[in-house]
Amino acid sequence: MVDIARASGVSRAPARRPGRLPAIRRLRRAVTPLAWLGPAIALIVVVVLWPVYVMFNTSFQHFSPDGFLLGPAGSRNFTDLFAESGLSGILERTVIWVVVVVGVTMLISLALAQLFNQRFPGRRVARWALIAPWAASVVMTSLIFRWALDPNSGVINVFLHDIGLIKSFGSNEADWLGRPASALIWMIVVAIFVSLPFTTYALLAGLQTIPGELYEAARVDGASHWRVYRSITLPLLRPSFLVALLINVINVFNSFPIIWEMTQGGPGHETATTTVFMYQLKQAYIGESAALSVINFGLVIVVVLVFLKVTRWRDQVTA
Amino acid sequence: MWSNMKRGLVAAMTLSAAAALALGGCGSSNPGSGGGGAITLKLVAADYGTGPQNSSQKYWQGIADAFHKQNPNITVTVQTINWNDFDSQVKTMVQNKQYPDVLEGDYFPDYAQAGLLYPAKDITSPATFSNLLPVFAKLDTYNGTQYGMPFTTSARTLFYNKQLFQKAGITAPPQTWADIQTDAAKIKRLGKMGFGLPLGPEEAQAESLLWFLGDGGGYQDASGNWAINSAPNVAALQFMTGLVKAGDTEPNPGTKNRTDLWKQFAQGQIGMINGSPALIPIIQSGGVLTSSDWASVPIAGKLGPLDKTLGVCDNVSVFKTDPSKKAAITKFLNFFYQDKYQIQFDQEYDLLPATNSAIQALSSDSTFGPFLKALPNSVQYSSAPVWTQVKTQIQQTIGTAMTQDPKQVLDAIQQTAQKGA
Repeated sequence: MVDIARASGVSRAPARRPGRLPAIRRLRRAVTPLAWLGPAIALIVVVVLWPVYVMFNTSFQHFSPDGFLLGPAGSRNFTDLFAESGLSGILERTVIWVVVVVGVTMLISLALAQLFNQRFPGRRVARWALIAPWAASVVMTSLIFRWALDPNSGVINVFLHDIGLIKSFGSNEADWLGRPASALIWMIVVAIFVSLPFTTYALLAGLQTIPGELYEAARVDGASHWRVYRSITLPLLRPSFLVALLINVINVFNSFPIIWEMTQGGPGHETATTTVFMYQLKQAYIGESAALSVINFGLVIVVVLVFLKVTRWRDQVTA
Repeated sequence: MWSNMKRGLVAAMTLSAAAALALGGCGSSNPGSGGGGAITLKLVAADYGTGPQNSSQKYWQGIADAFHKQNPNITVTVQTINWNDFDSQVKTMVQNKQYPDVLEGDYFPDYAQAGLLYPAKDITSPATFSNLLPVFAKLDTYNGTQYGMPFTTSARTLFYNKQLFQKAGITAPPQTWADIQTDAAKIKRLGKMGFGLPLGPEEAQAESLLWFLGDGGGYQDASGNWAINSAPNVAALQFMTGLVKAGDTEPNPGTKNRTDLWKQFAQGQIGMINGSPALIPIIQSGGVLTSSDWASVPIAGKLGPLDKTLGVCDNVSVFKTDPSKKAAITKFLNFFYQDKYQIQFDQEYDLLPATNSAIQALSSDSTFGPFLKALPNSVQYSSAPVWTQVKTQIQQTIGTAMTQDPKQVLDAIQQTAQKGA
């Protein structure tokens, strides 16, 4: 320990007298960090900034449905997009989708994390089991639910029929995915199901960072369980809660496979969110789809900025 | 324990990352088609099969192998895509400029417009070209040049379940819309579905056209102008809405696809459904209906059975990929257009041939005969490049006409058609 301290002291010594360094060495010193940062910067430029540029560019171009550039489109892609009759419904649905899925996921995960933080026999197995919905492909999970909801022979319908809640197979009431409202509810259920593992683990990690002494002290002071949860657990869980919340908002907003596999956004666009609608548009209108992509991008940025502002992210997470 | 688990997770993630890298490596080491005179052709085809045992992958691989035996320097790689995903996957492929050499399935007139395709005449021998069924030539033509080549054809007829008809006390097959309405209601009383109405994205453009034709409508008028929101079309949708509201069809037709409903018909759950010969193997493999339990008749119209029907052909189109492959592609096309393979395909999937000589060979067949007679009278989709966009919009939105104002839905599609490609 002492050795290291001395060594670093020695190496730092010349840095205190920069004036005496030759110019070349100074330049090299200034450039050296780039060697370390370079790959990361290059990655960000190629993987993040370039696609963003292409997206913006595409949204102002006129493309044929086969991907040929026919010339600039000005703002026509955007005016066409705003003239789409289904757009307002799709935006509303997107808000409902994100708020309900993320909200319910966070609530259930809080309870689950608390449960998994207790000692009980079989906890290890239970924790592993919780990973299953996360480990399974989302497409697979969605397909399984789609089949389970089949109006004629889906296992969920068979069960509901057996207990007398559904009178006959193939009827409108058994056709969960055919009616936009009930289809949306079922897709929300699936989205919550696949979001739970990550959220629960994020919160569980947070719970485990809370020092046991605080609970002991509270117990000595005679605080009730509820009081302990409100005054110790929740405030100290805030950083991991916020991280989980933010990642979920972005994930759920961008979620595509669940809706695509279960209803393809149909009938019409009546179960589509903006992400799914983007894909529906792409079939025939690439530029318009890119315009919606730009808007989605803007929405995510705005949501994230507002979120960071409201939660005073810096103080909470980096402190 | 927590840290144990984390270590396990990290190990698992490292493993899967390594696997992904290894797989990626395999993909990129695909040999090019250049060296040593060896040529690789990429064929992308629709899968007509109902499962792995009769997948079109098998049919095409058989041809590719036989062809390779005759031409050892040409290898054909085969990729088949199931019908549900065919349009969107091919579109994505083309949008990303990853063209196949030969495409079999739906034909996209806009690819001809974009100059992506070889004219049919340039890529086949004169004998093969003149053998192609002429009925569909117009559909495959853009600006006076034929680009698409019909590969397999089918005509639509109305299938009905004789067993259910008998149980419901119906004696004659349906001929008019009124027949369909009363018969469907009777079958519904048996606890079965009266009429199967697939208006989901898979092939809504076909189902709706059959109804439009029944009322004297269609997508275009006699002079070839778009007439999607015409009065007969609106009336047809209104009639269909009536059927749906009465519960004579499946619920929410806008979300139900052809393939699923055909399977239900094969299981004896549906009284009537518009079908093509491709429905026959599904009925046979279902094992529920024997050949005397069902029959097919001309499509019912508003006042009587239609004298014309929707003729659909799936096409071969050849992309201008690498000029050095052209001779090899021509050889391959001449090879797979032999009667032997046409007939093999039609017997496998109960579809109809697309060459004159193969039709002649099959004309006395009892299953195919009636359909072959209907072919020359068939109505076809538009060959205008904008049809690609119109079709997509019909597939995505026409089902909503069952719950919303049909006129508005059709107006929106008409607007797209008139805007042009």
